[in-house]
Amino acid sequence: MNTNTQISAADREAVTAAEVTTIIGLEVHVQLQTKSKLFCGCSTLFGQEPNTQTCPVCTGMPGSLPVLNKQALKLSIKTGLALNCEIAKHTKWDRKNYFYPDLPKGYQISQLDQPICGVGYLDISDSDGAFEPKRVEIERAHLEEDAGKSSHDESGRGGKSKIDLNRTGTPLLEIVTRPDMRSAAEAKAFLQSLKMILTYIEVSDCNMQEGSLRCDGNINLHINVGGQKIATPIVEIKNMNSFRAAERALDYEVKRQLAEWKETGGTIEGAPKRTFGWDDQAEVTIAQREKEEAADYRYFPDPDLIAVVTTDEQIDAIREEIGTLPSRLRNDLVREHQLSEYDANVLVNQGRGVVDYFLSVAKTCDNSKLAINWVNQEVLRHLNETNSAIDQYPIGSDGMGDLLKRITDGDLDQTRGKDVLSAMMEDSIDAAAAIEKLGIRQVDSSELDSLCQQLLDANPKVVAQVQEGKVKALGALVGQARKINPNVNPGTLQANLRKMLGVDG
Amino acid sequence: MSNAIDRKTALHVGKLARLELTDAQADASAKHLASILSYVDQLAEVEVPEDIEPFFGATESVNAVRDDEVRPSMDRETILRNAPDSDGEFYRVPPVFG
Ligand SMILES: [Zn+2]
Repeated sequence: MNTNTQISAADREAVTAAEVTTIIGLEVHVQLQTKSKLFCGCSTLFGQEPNTQTCPVCTGMPGSLPVLNKQALKLSIKTGLALNCEIAKHTKWDRKNYFYPDLPKGYQISQLDQPICGVGYLDISDSDGAFEPKRVEIERAHLEEDAGKSSHDESGRGGKSKIDLNRTGTPLLEIVTRPDMRSAAEAKAFLQSLKMILTYIEVSDCNMQEGSLRCDGNINLHINVGGQKIATPIVEIKNMNSFRAAERALDYEVKRQLAEWKETGGTIEGAPKRTFGWDDQAEVTIAQREKEEAADYRYFPDPDLIAVVTTDEQIDAIREEIGTLPSRLRNDLVREHQLSEYDANVLVNQGRGVVDYFLSVAKTCDNSKLAINWVNQEVLRHLNETNSAIDQYPIGSDGMGDLLKRITDGDLDQTRGKDVLSAMMEDSIDAAAAIEKLGIRQVDSSELDSLCQQLLDANPKVVAQVQEGKVKALGALVGQARKINPNVNPGTLQANLRKMLGVDG
Repeated sequence: MSNAIDRKTALHVGKLARLELTDAQADASAKHLASILSYVDQLAEVEVPEDIEPFFGATESVNAVRDDEVRPSMDRETILRNAPDSDGEFYRVPPVFG
């Protein structure tokens, strides 16, 4: 027996959070954005009629032969490079054997000992300072085929299960981290950061609802009890189908493992890894049925497939396509466009398309500050309200840049600018046409003087307040002025009023 | 090299292959497996120079790949004809839990 059993229940009960270190490693399955499956020409399109996207290869018919999709290989290498992984020059394919109705061949084609991507890393941080910036090491990333989808009879009457094999054979990249994360918040940050990179480099849409990104977590606790270090049994949590679910499942599991250890004193020694599922409704992790036989996948090299050799030239060419990654892009935006950290974060989080839109608008209007305000507010609000992507936004970056240039040049104030934007969207016209339509024109100085006189005559109370030193009272006249002449610029108006009342400066 | 396979191992291998074996069948399978392994063991007699890289397939060629192009799938009615049971849309299998 191990010595850990000697820790008494009272000693266990006395352990505080400070003595507990959470150890988390993640396995992330990413569906690669290919048109066709990994080893056959069937479509990978989501949400089609069941069993309409299969063929003898992906249903495992005798005599059929798999042929590798080179785009899946390329996207895997691209991901590996973005995650600072070593890229294997020589990879091969192995069969992972197990029986399940959604796996028609009785084995999954995967990569055991020569994964396409080797050791790498991803740096994570939290803008609110929930944890210190840190590096999470990637153990490996290998390419494999997805299984089909089962739906089970939920009635409890033991009805048959239904199988749809459309997804069978879709390319998945399984990214495995080292157990480097120390909290659920770190794990969530890793997932968010990973997702952003994957979408930036366009290897996956990472749509969690559609299962394009799936995450399992391995978690246990290292506990220091009076100088003795013990570890709780490792639990693998499946079915964490959103980042929020992942964070909550891991947080829950920390508490559950600590409570279980305090009660039973059970440690990792001799305890096989258990599998738990996350129940999003009940907000608990639930032990899944233990398999009677320990996993025995009897991997062996797939005799139907030959090895893949990748050259330095091929890898370099893929590296060229990666472009600027999110963390670098954030720094560039702060340094070269004087954006605040906050604004840069909001922008980069929207994805490459919105960043490119901003860069183009900022260039056209030559005013990064104005551009970021309009993109992060007007444009993002519209995208959120209409639940649409930037390429569906009705005003192109040229049109937006043109509008903001007019504001920068003082032809329009921001309020009128927003009216112009609305008109541009409503009538699908450019800024010049919208300005024409709204009858916006510069107010000349004699017009401005007579407007100001009219306002002063009508508002003796405000005039009196200003003369007592309350210059701010003039703000009340802006609304009135706009009713009389919507083209008036509030800044120019107030300056002119101050001048006429002799309170300039 | 001895290739003795006991009943327990034969039952385990059977279970992995989803075969239900009686003890008599397990004993018979153990004998067959042992003889197959002995046959393959002949390969161990070949002297392999130490500087030879491991070799995983029956051919030395590499990089058989295809472009990422969608080809028509097989129509559902035809492919489901291979299934012991289906409802015309899905394969139907005995109840699976978890
Ligand atoms: Zn297919």
